[in-house]
Amino acid sequence: MKFAELLKLPQYSLPYAEKEQILLDGLNDLDAHHRLHCPEYNRLVSVLWPDFKKARTLAELPYLAVGLFKSHRLCSIPKEKIFKTLTSSGTTGQQVSQIFLDVETAQRQTAALSRIMTHVLGLNRLPMILVESRALLQDRTRFNARAAGVLGMMTFGREHFYALDENMELDEKGLHAFLEKFDGKPFFIFGFTFMIWQYLFQRLAERSVDLSQGILVHGGGWKKLQEMAVSNSEFKRRFREKTGLARIYNFYGLVEQVGSIYVEGENGYLYTPNYADVIVRDPLTWQPAPMGTPGVLQVLSLLPLSYPGHSVLTEDLGIIHGIDDSPGGRYGKYFSVLGRIPKAELRGCSDVHASQVSG
Amino acid sequence: MKVQQLVPRAEEVDLEEILTRLRDISAGTLAPFVPEILEFCANFSRALFRDAEAKRFPELQALAFWMRKSELERLRQEFDRLKTSRTLPVPRGLVFHVPPANVDTIFMYSWLVSVMAGNRNILRISPRAAVQTTIICRVLNECLEDADKAMRDNTVMIRYGHEQEITAAISAVADVRVIWGGDASVNAIRSVRIPPHCKELAFPDRYSLSVMRTSKYLGLEEAARREVAAQFYNDMYWFDQMACSSPRLLIWCGGAEESSSASSIFLHDLHDEIQRRGYALDASGNMNKFTFLSRAILDQPVVSAQQLDHQLTVAQLENIRNLGRDYCGGGFLFQHYAEGLESLAECVARKDQTLTYFGFDQAEMAAFAQLLNGRGIDRIVPLGKALTFNRYWDGYDLLVEMIRHVYVE
Repeated sequence: MKFAELLKLPQYSLPYAEKEQILLDGLNDLDAHHRLHCPEYNRLVSVLWPDFKKARTLAELPYLAVGLFKSHRLCSIPKEKIFKTLTSSGTTGQQVSQIFLDVETAQRQTAALSRIMTHVLGLNRLPMILVESRALLQDRTRFNARAAGVLGMMTFGREHFYALDENMELDEKGLHAFLEKFDGKPFFIFGFTFMIWQYLFQRLAERSVDLSQGILVHGGGWKKLQEMAVSNSEFKRRFREKTGLARIYNFYGLVEQVGSIYVEGENGYLYTPNYADVIVRDPLTWQPAPMGTPGVLQVLSLLPLSYPGHSVLTEDLGIIHGIDDSPGGRYGKYFSVLGRIPKAELRGCSDVHASQVSG
Repeated sequence: MKVQQLVPRAEEVDLEEILTRLRDISAGTLAPFVPEILEFCANFSRALFRDAEAKRFPELQALAFWMRKSELERLRQEFDRLKTSRTLPVPRGLVFHVPPANVDTIFMYSWLVSVMAGNRNILRISPRAAVQTTIICRVLNECLEDADKAMRDNTVMIRYGHEQEITAAISAVADVRVIWGGDASVNAIRSVRIPPHCKELAFPDRYSLSVMRTSKYLGLEEAARREVAAQFYNDMYWFDQMACSSPRLLIWCGGAEESSSASSIFLHDLHDEIQRRGYALDASGNMNKFTFLSRAILDQPVVSAQQLDHQLTVAQLENIRNLGRDYCGGGFLFQHYAEGLESLAECVARKDQTLTYFGFDQAEMAAFAQLLNGRGIDRIVPLGKALTFNRYWDGYDLLVEMIRHVYVE
């Protein structure tokens, strides 16, 4: 099945056996494509999987460690075809991932994301609150994953309202004006999990603001909220209690696979869209782990043509809960993310080894 | 300035008072290798051997072993030989030790030599220090309770992070500063001024390798081969392969075909040894190792890679002329087949510290060191002794570094 045809199918509609075959064909093609066009990818596969020709199962596909996108320029298109370079939003001094997009891959990302988001938001574009400051998008020299994520999501809303100023202060007046204008009508809220909590919820918690018509979509990871002991269910409970906001969807995604995001279903699990899948691997043997067993997440996606990111071994732990048997009637695998692999410091003579290997 | 003292007693203390006391010579200071010092260190060694908690850590037992009375006595004799008819070795004064956060015991060796030589000592302990350090402090405190006053006044350990003003205050009165740690730590501490007369010993990042003569290895009986694997295990895995002197590159000297068969026998034995010892790496260590391997494949002339369980990854190098000296630890070995020792010489770099060997004799290794003529490598020791500390380390003679020679005619 061609990617274009796959896009037309209703989201989460493919029984796994059928989807597996479609993905296997598509990913085998992508593997061959990147081996031909990305010398680094070809070298890695030829040394790490010397006997590999073609995968018979998804688990047999070669995968790249996500950290490689930080240390190496992995690209399957000539320089002049690069349309946009995405970088992850690392803190100062940290190495960031670099992802090279051509027009076609960018279009595939947009199309794919749209098929996922309309499933959550419906076909009509809704008035949209961005829990970001306008300044984020103005600095085009730093086109990082956060800005890319915001830009990607903006297309699913209209009459955008930036809820934060450049000092990350909530524009309460503006928010009230927005809510008044669209009184009683559904609207879309988007932002990064930590920012939503810190800059929106914490400021609104003690005011009576009615967000019950909102649909909140948020992602970016739970690390900071875990430190504050706020779990996903606590996040939802508090929002509903204080603001009436009940339609909340967390998602999981990587800058290495933009467009291919895993959005939470009504039961709180993350769902694999038609053109993507996850495999959980035992962190010591790298063998696929049985369902229900936690391990390292590998993410598969049909989207990346311009860089070899179709099969990526992440540094996140996850657990697959089921396949095709979801109460909401969705097909495919559903899973949850347990956070980053906990870092244990190896001993030794050197203070700086951790940054040498993880940087 | 208030600081947290760990030795001689856990309490909050005033840094200026501590420094004044350490520099106070009115009560008399200890001469090098006097019986009180030997007695105290031998007691400390016995206490480490006996301590139930310390027994669980082989590196603490190794430290205790190195400080046992007979060894100290030998060190005293070596010290006596430093005297000449016209020179007298005396302590340098106050030694400031800055160990790294994540090395459990190695800094104690330079401390011991310093104490033996009669110096007074102040050590910075990192807040991130491992449990082994806590045990050392506790056992040391217990021993100090019954020790001579001169011994009690001899060593202070304080805990602090990266506060420059504390480092600066101590450095300002130090006669010797000893910095263990990565290149970044050495550079950071080095930017803090020391008095003009003060000398500095730095132990930065190093790289270590191992060389085996293929023909000798293939001629071994099975039991002897297993012993080789056991010795290699000790060198490689004791500190998660993160000690400076743990081998990261294994070179076989011989024909490629013979070396290849020797390697497969050896790796099989090493793998067995790893299973027997129960070495385990956690998920993040294994992830690091996979990422490191992938990077090595892209940046180095790696021709093949073997992942023998999570404990051992071996990457075969076509040549080692421009080998990067990055490492990840946790059981990652580069391997290379060379014709002979001479062909290695051009690959040795300044960063290379310890070369462990099997199947060569001492004279051959001395000739190799002569061939290198100082370009790199500070220690050449038989397999199994990579981590065995002695007074010669990183090219220093610590015993000599800790004293001054007074010339008397």
